[in-house]
Amino acid sequence: MEIYKWLPKTNCKECGKPTCMAFSLDLLQGKVKVDDCPPILKPKYKKQYEKLKEMLGSEEGQQKELRINVDEDLCDGCGICVTVCPVNARYCPPSLSGKAPEYPPEKHQLFQVIGGKCELLNLEHCRRLDSEGRERECHVCETYCPREAIKIEYV
Amino acid sequence: MKRYPCSGCSLLCDDIIVKSDGLFIDKIIGACLKGKERFDQVSAQNRITSPLIRKNNELINVSWEEALAKTVEIIKNSSAPLLYGFSNVTCEAQRAGMDLAREINGFIDSNASICQGKILNKAKSQGINLTTITEIINKGDLIILWGANPAETIPRLLNKVLFSRGKFRMTGREIKTLVIIDPVKTASFRVMGVRDLALIIEPDKDIELIQMLKEECCSADSIPSGGVAGIDKSDLKRLLLHLTGAENGVIILGQGVLQPHADYDLIEELLDLLQLINDRQVKGRISLLLLGGHFNMAGFDHVALSSYGVSGKLQFENKKLVKSEDTIVSKINKENFDCSIIVGTDPISHLPHSLSSKLARKPLILIDNHSSATSRIADVILPTSITGIESSGLVYRIDQVPVELKKILNPPNNIPSDEELLNQLIKKFNGGAK
Repeated sequence: MEIYKWLPKTNCKECGKPTCMAFSLDLLQGKVKVDDCPPILKPKYKKQYEKLKEMLGSEEGQQKELRINVDEDLCDGCGICVTVCPVNARYCPPSLSGKAPEYPPEKHQLFQVIGGKCELLNLEHCRRLDSEGRERECHVCETYCPREAIKIEYV
Repeated sequence: MKRYPCSGCSLLCDDIIVKSDGLFIDKIIGACLKGKERFDQVSAQNRITSPLIRKNNELINVSWEEALAKTVEIIKNSSAPLLYGFSNVTCEAQRAGMDLAREINGFIDSNASICQGKILNKAKSQGINLTTITEIINKGDLIILWGANPAETIPRLLNKVLFSRGKFRMTGREIKTLVIIDPVKTASFRVMGVRDLALIIEPDKDIELIQMLKEECCSADSIPSGGVAGIDKSDLKRLLLHLTGAENGVIILGQGVLQPHADYDLIEELLDLLQLINDRQVKGRISLLLLGGHFNMAGFDHVALSSYGVSGKLQFENKKLVKSEDTIVSKINKENFDCSIIVGTDPISHLPHSLSSKLARKPLILIDNHSSATSRIADVILPTSITGIESSGLVYRIDQVPVELKKILNPPNNIPSDEELLNQLIKKFNGGAK
């Protein structure tokens, strides 16, 4: 979101991406560079261009990997991430009504509360990796965690 | 895999998967940290597994016969015993506790009388609109947290009532509006979305908000332009729109609203407001959910009502029920007792020092399964099994729905359940007669 703020937000599609939001996501993951955005090179956006360069620093252009960190010390196992995660909802419908999913877990399932703490089971089915379009910007687990224990990062 | 109800808090989640070999618990799936701690208590370090008696200012292990004989001796030497606790035991044990109080001519009260029981008592004269968790999951569209912080006290409550999707809807969180009225920004504020309403109220100004809402319900445009109790006019208007326009709203009342005030009764005013709003409601209704902590907080009133016809505290004289205006607080304050039997709670750390010091001066019999501040000053400690894990029974959830707890493990040293122990004590007094 920080990166998106400094982009031109014109949705001109000149970079080949459908929206500026998609471009900012790819920028974060290191798939594209700031220079790949044609409008930002114009003198009008000089300040924003410099700001973006400063933000990304030397890491620009390096391929990054998605990581979801669950802080075990902060988590209290409320299970909100289990309920709100759209992947969980699709493959274990009972979790939609706040019920704990079955054990052993379904192979697509992302989160499960085990022993009073939330555990990330597998990342490969996360919407950020395994879907198209706007769904790739999914960050519900991070947004709704009341203890702020979940962090989505690119390392 | 089999699912069990959890006895960690008053929400009593009934979807906990427990992997156990009959002797130990391997894995607990689905329970929050609070529930997991409850299951961990089975093998906790502060667990008491044999009866203890205080001799020469030191607690020593004794046999069951000796401990029970000492208990009977203390009770027989007293003329006004006090029974307190009963929020962490089953309804059957509560019933046995009441029968014991009748046998020994005692006064019995539960934790609810200094907690949510107050609201139920008020509701007897004014009427109350209660709801169930399932109804909020399936139909709820407005959730108001008033002086409550379930994100930290009852972790899974917000997950169930706010984020879950009901049977009749395609959306969950999106359709439910959350309003939080609280003087401090608690952890529950972090789950707020764009449509939700956060009202930071000035401390002790809840009464102003309630009175303003009551006025506004009767005549429109009476909101002062500067707002009330630190809340903006526009926010107040939105709150009133939510209150009168919701199809199935619920106000979740926490401990914050329960503090007694000298010049007014907040709970009475709140119940009045609820009636006024429900009169003006066009689509549905607003109901209440009382947030208690202990897992059978709600049960005591139900058991007292069904077995003795009185809700709340009971006073016995000559094995008959007599009317009493006293509560547990006034009883201890006046020192109108000469021994106390505490069941499944820790009043020494819960009650203020002025009261707990008075309680500590008289002989104290503790019936509990783990050591606490109360066990340090108790004269006799009778251990019991952990309800919901080592013994079964009926308990009431926060929304007054009965839930059956199940037995998973056998208790160590064959220690009795609360119900069995209290029934044993009754037999000691009436010689086995019914």
